[in-house]
Amino acid sequence: MKNLNRPELNKSSPSGPPLESTRGGPHIENSRDAIHVKHSPSESSDERTYPPGDVALWIFILAELLVFGVFFSAYAFTRASNVELFNTCQRTLDTNSALINTLALITSSYFVMRAVAAIREDKSQQCFQWLLAALLMGFVFLVVKSGEYLHHYDAGINLRTNLFYMFYLSLTFFHFMHVILGMVILTAVAIKATKGGYSAAEHTGVESGASYWHMVDIVWLVLFPLVYIMH
Amino acid sequence: MNQTGTKTIYAVRPCTFVYIVLMTLTVITWLVGKAGLHGLEISLFVLSFALFKGLLIGDYYMGLRGIKGLWRWVIIIWLLLPGSLITWAFVSAS
Amino acid sequence: MKYQSQAVAKPYFVAAIGLFVAQILFGLIMGLQYVIGDFLFPEIPFNVARMVHTNLLIVWILFGFMGAAYYLVPEESECELFSPKLALLMFWIFLAAGALTILGYLLVPYAALAELTGNSLLPTMGREFLEQPTITKIGIVIVALAFLFNIGMTVLKGRKTVITLVLLLGLTGLAVFFLFSFFNPDNLVKDKFYWWWVVHLWVEGVWELILGAILAFVLIKTTGVDREVIEKWLYVIIALALITGIIGTGHHYYWIGTPDYWQWWGSIFSAMEPLPFFMMTVFAFNMVNQRRRNHPNQAAVLWALGTAVMAFLGAGVWGFLHTLSPVNYYTHGTQITAAHGHMAFYGAYAMVVLTIISYAMPMLNGRTAANSGKSQVVEMWSFWLMTVSMVFITLFLTGAGVLQTYMQRYTDNPQPFMVVQGRLELFYWMREVAGLVFLVGAVLYIISFFVGGEEPEQA
Repeated sequence: MKNLNRPELNKSSPSGPPLESTRGGPHIENSRDAIHVKHSPSESSDERTYPPGDVALWIFILAELLVFGVFFSAYAFTRASNVELFNTCQRTLDTNSALINTLALITSSYFVMRAVAAIREDKSQQCFQWLLAALLMGFVFLVVKSGEYLHHYDAGINLRTNLFYMFYLSLTFFHFMHVILGMVILTAVAIKATKGGYSAAEHTGVESGASYWHMVDIVWLVLFPLVYIMH
Repeated sequence: MNQTGTKTIYAVRPCTFVYIVLMTLTVITWLVGKAGLHGLEISLFVLSFALFKGLLIGDYYMGLRGIKGLWRWVIIIWLLLPGSLITWAFVSAS
Repeated sequence: MKYQSQAVAKPYFVAAIGLFVAQILFGLIMGLQYVIGDFLFPEIPFNVARMVHTNLLIVWILFGFMGAAYYLVPEESECELFSPKLALLMFWIFLAAGALTILGYLLVPYAALAELTGNSLLPTMGREFLEQPTITKIGIVIVALAFLFNIGMTVLKGRKTVITLVLLLGLTGLAVFFLFSFFNPDNLVKDKFYWWWVVHLWVEGVWELILGAILAFVLIKTTGVDREVIEKWLYVIIALALITGIIGTGHHYYWIGTPDYWQWWGSIFSAMEPLPFFMMTVFAFNMVNQRRRNHPNQAAVLWALGTAVMAFLGAGVWGFLHTLSPVNYYTHGTQITAAHGHMAFYGAYAMVVLTIISYAMPMLNGRTAANSGKSQVVEMWSFWLMTVSMVFITLFLTGAGVLQTYMQRYTDNPQPFMVVQGRLELFYWMREVAGLVFLVGAVLYIISFFVGGEEPEQA
């Protein structure tokens, strides 16, 4: 049985490349130490073939984007056969709130980007502060969006009101849940950052959280004109 | 080496510039809504803003601009897929 | 075996395999009744055979899950099981309750069984897959709670890993959602609505967590790949499985009287349900390619890879075939559903239980790591016989389903149900033959544990 239980080799390298070393593509990792190659800021840009953060998380991001993409297309094609209804209902939405929310998400994405830039220079405390600022913006989004929902609720609007509101509520609420999930992830990253859990050499966690948050932002950037403006 | 690596992927100054562009495009989109502009051309115009904004986030904030291979294109491909489907649906509806 | 108490898994595994064979036998009886309507009538009418076939499936899979938990939790937690005695006691209670219930189905008319077990006090019987007498359901809850307590205490006192966390989450969900089998509203729409909370949220929700945890455990053990890498994939896969699976419940709400929006929610989210299964396939093959050693139990590795592939095909692809509401409008309740059900249950849940049994049984039988080469050859034969025949069962049923959908529903001149069934006879005969091959495979699986016992292990 002695050869059976040595799975936790290499515990010290949680950042080891998960998939890439079996891929047929160019492997820059092979000749060097995995941690160093994947995450060190000292590597020049033309050597990178994987996006910042964990590949497993990127696969997750792709899956999420796929769901949103299908949802957006379903909205557009359903609208095509209900143009009048969609145009009328669209005018009842509050574009001011949508503007505030879009600006809030863009700003928080900017802050998250600054957090990654900070940790790349080994500045844990700065990284933490930028993340906190980003979380604050996320919170603004949640408050404003909740205000909108409350308004709809008071007006007696729900999923069954009509096709437009079904799509509007489903799409924005599904996105709303993603903002919450993104904030949970960023909070976990921020807590670890303030404890000094990341460094310039190893900060996959920050990059992964950042990539997820940017994805939530990109989805909203398409959602905003599609649902609020385009008619 | 150190400087180039950091700069190309997470250089703060270009990203701040990108931030201003993102905010501006957003406000323009909102103004279009406020002004009550509508119609196919307006819709596609606003959509192209959104796709461009997504591209900027992917390239500059996610740092995809600095990498090689398939992953460099994932966000762009994603933007183009629903983007073209939405375009198709709006064109067919008008 | 690292820990003495892991031995309690053995009776669970043995019972699982025994009930599995019984399930196949009742499947064969039903398969024959498709073409020879009065076969074994009135002793075992079709509805009883079907009830026994599906109930046995659930029970043996549950035995398998419990055995798997008792085997892998001590090893993951690095400590003995909280109470092996409680585990054994629950085994006998569960086995007795299961056996009595099946005997009740076979010996007494269903209505008499309901009366005999006091169903009128708390009516829960008479619904597909939840046919068990109320008293059996209460027994299941007691067994599940005792089991959860036992596993939970073990996890609490030992090392906490992602695998035990995910497994515990899945098992807790399994117990919690089963409670909805006691909820039986008079309103038929609500009845069906919550009925799916047991049926769907089990197989397309929390069971996927259990599946992921068991598969990850076997892959860690057999490939020696970093725990962190496997755990990370496990996280991503289960997150995706839950997002798509929970809202995907909507694909059962198309035609039962629920609001319109379920057409959209169900279609969009359930269409994404293949994704986590696809990721599981990619994940399993990558882990095996990245292996740091060749584990002597190659049969278990084969089962693990087979699980990933067949779960993707059966649950993912065959589920997607009829999950979109406009498609389901025509295919609902046809043989397409049966095709999907067979390959999904075999590919995902039967195979993962056979995987963990294949991995653990040699150790439970006192060997170091694996059975002899001779035994593994027999086992691999059983793998291919069962898997290929299940593919054929699925293909024949799919063919039957497509024809049925067309002749009975889609064409301009729809034919009555029984006329269409008559025309599908050839498919049903071929399905029955494939079923016999499947039985041979299952018997070989059992035989593999008894051959070559005296021979040395494969290096």
